[in-house]
Amino acid sequence: MSLLLRTPSPACGKPALAGLLGLLLFASSAALAGTSLNERRPAEPTGHVEVSNTAGTVSISGWDRREVEVTGELGKGAERLEFETSGKVTHVRVILPKKTRNVESSELVIRVPAGSSIAVNTVSADVQVRGVQGSQRLQTVSANIDTESAAEDVECKTVSGDVEIRGSGAPTLLTLTTVSGDATVDRVAGEVNANTVSGDFRLDLGAVSRSRLRSTSGDMSMSGQLTADARIDVEAISGDVRVDFDGPVNAEFDVSTFNGDIRNCFGPKPVRTSEYAPGRELRFREGPGSGRVRIKTLNGDVDVCRR
Amino acid sequence: MSPLTGKHERRLDQDLAGLPQSIEPRRDLWPGIAARLESGRVRPARRWAWQAAAAVLLVASSSIVTLQLVKSRVPAVADAPASAPVPSAMPAAFGPGHALDPEYLAAKEQLAEMLAQRVDAMPASARSKLAANLAELQRATAEINAALALQPGDPLLEELLLNAYQAELGVMANVNQLTRLNGTVNQTDSARIRL
Repeated sequence: MSLLLRTPSPACGKPALAGLLGLLLFASSAALAGTSLNERRPAEPTGHVEVSNTAGTVSISGWDRREVEVTGELGKGAERLEFETSGKVTHVRVILPKKTRNVESSELVIRVPAGSSIAVNTVSADVQVRGVQGSQRLQTVSANIDTESAAEDVECKTVSGDVEIRGSGAPTLLTLTTVSGDATVDRVAGEVNANTVSGDFRLDLGAVSRSRLRSTSGDMSMSGQLTADARIDVEAISGDVRVDFDGPVNAEFDVSTFNGDIRNCFGPKPVRTSEYAPGRELRFREGPGSGRVRIKTLNGDVDVCRR
Repeated sequence: MSPLTGKHERRLDQDLAGLPQSIEPRRDLWPGIAARLESGRVRPARRWAWQAAAAVLLVASSSIVTLQLVKSRVPAVADAPASAPVPSAMPAAFGPGHALDPEYLAAKEQLAEMLAQRVDAMPASARSKLAANLAELQRATAEINAALALQPGDPLLEELLLNAYQAELGVMANVNQLTRLNGTVNQTDSARIRL
């Protein structure tokens, strides 16, 4: 910087100063930026792709080529990107050096054959998936998960991240687990199992054959159409439960709460389980009763209605 | 005690027959009875609340003690960020007077110890949320246990309690798995990474 003070005249000094500052800025940003990624490997059309990234983002989309492409940026301080294919399995991993500080986020943009199955593990890297037809296993510690499900199984697990899943209406198996993260699920059909401690879950489902929902203090809202042999099992401790049914309802209902309220738009009124205890229960059959709906809470309120 | 003779039996029958069939109270007692019945209905809920509060206090204090014990066994990591307290194994029982299987408790203690070692690898926000949610699970378990003290053997409460215990184990196992997966894959000391 001392050189700049010796610039002979202000008239020609200003452009020189600006140029030098620009150069310094470019040099410093280049030093701060990570490494650009642009690599491809051949892959099976229905292979398996495993991805791990600690912090940043992971964006995966399906395409019609028989190869996996990784673009984006490797964060400054990261050791390298491990990108290798062995048989049907492709690994994409951000490798961090041992015992290091201040590793910057890595942004991975990955394209995989649309028929691939994927497994993604991150700590705080958000995960987004589009157009992947195979099964998905998406796990984060604190990052959000945003995906689309097709007909294959989807499993999402996170501690505190939020989860958003859009289905195609085709039957599938969805397993969703959070500790405190909220979840929104739209148009997923088939079997949906969800667990949370304090997350609020809104599940707007298609035709549901099996569903097992568990919450401690989070609220659960589920809507969907029951298949003929549906088995719906919802349990909450202090969270509220709301279930809305689309179309004809054909099920036996067994609803009970120790200290909550039960409100229902059809069937008989709930009854007290004891003269001196606050418990209430509601048991009835709607239609032929081949399906089964079971809802249990300790303190949470229960609403059962048609939509 | 000697059996009644026929003479005594007849006399007892006569005495019983001589008693009035009903006695009118000197004043209308029903308002007082009704008031007591009403207060009797409320009482279980108040007892329930007190017992729940007592159970929560008990669990909280025992968790703090257990946490201190577990933490004291885990070697300190230099430069590791300050950890949010993570409640670990708590005294568990299926209602009053029932003790859980020692193997179950041992497994739970093991999970809690693993969690105490791995919790520093988590981002601070997730760590504090995990601690809050484990405390929430323990509060829920204490609440169900308190309700079971009032209604021993209630099938709804027993089912909820069993599932609450399973949920607590499930959370600890899941977090252990999530932190292990990332730790193993990256071969790094995640606690030192700025996330």
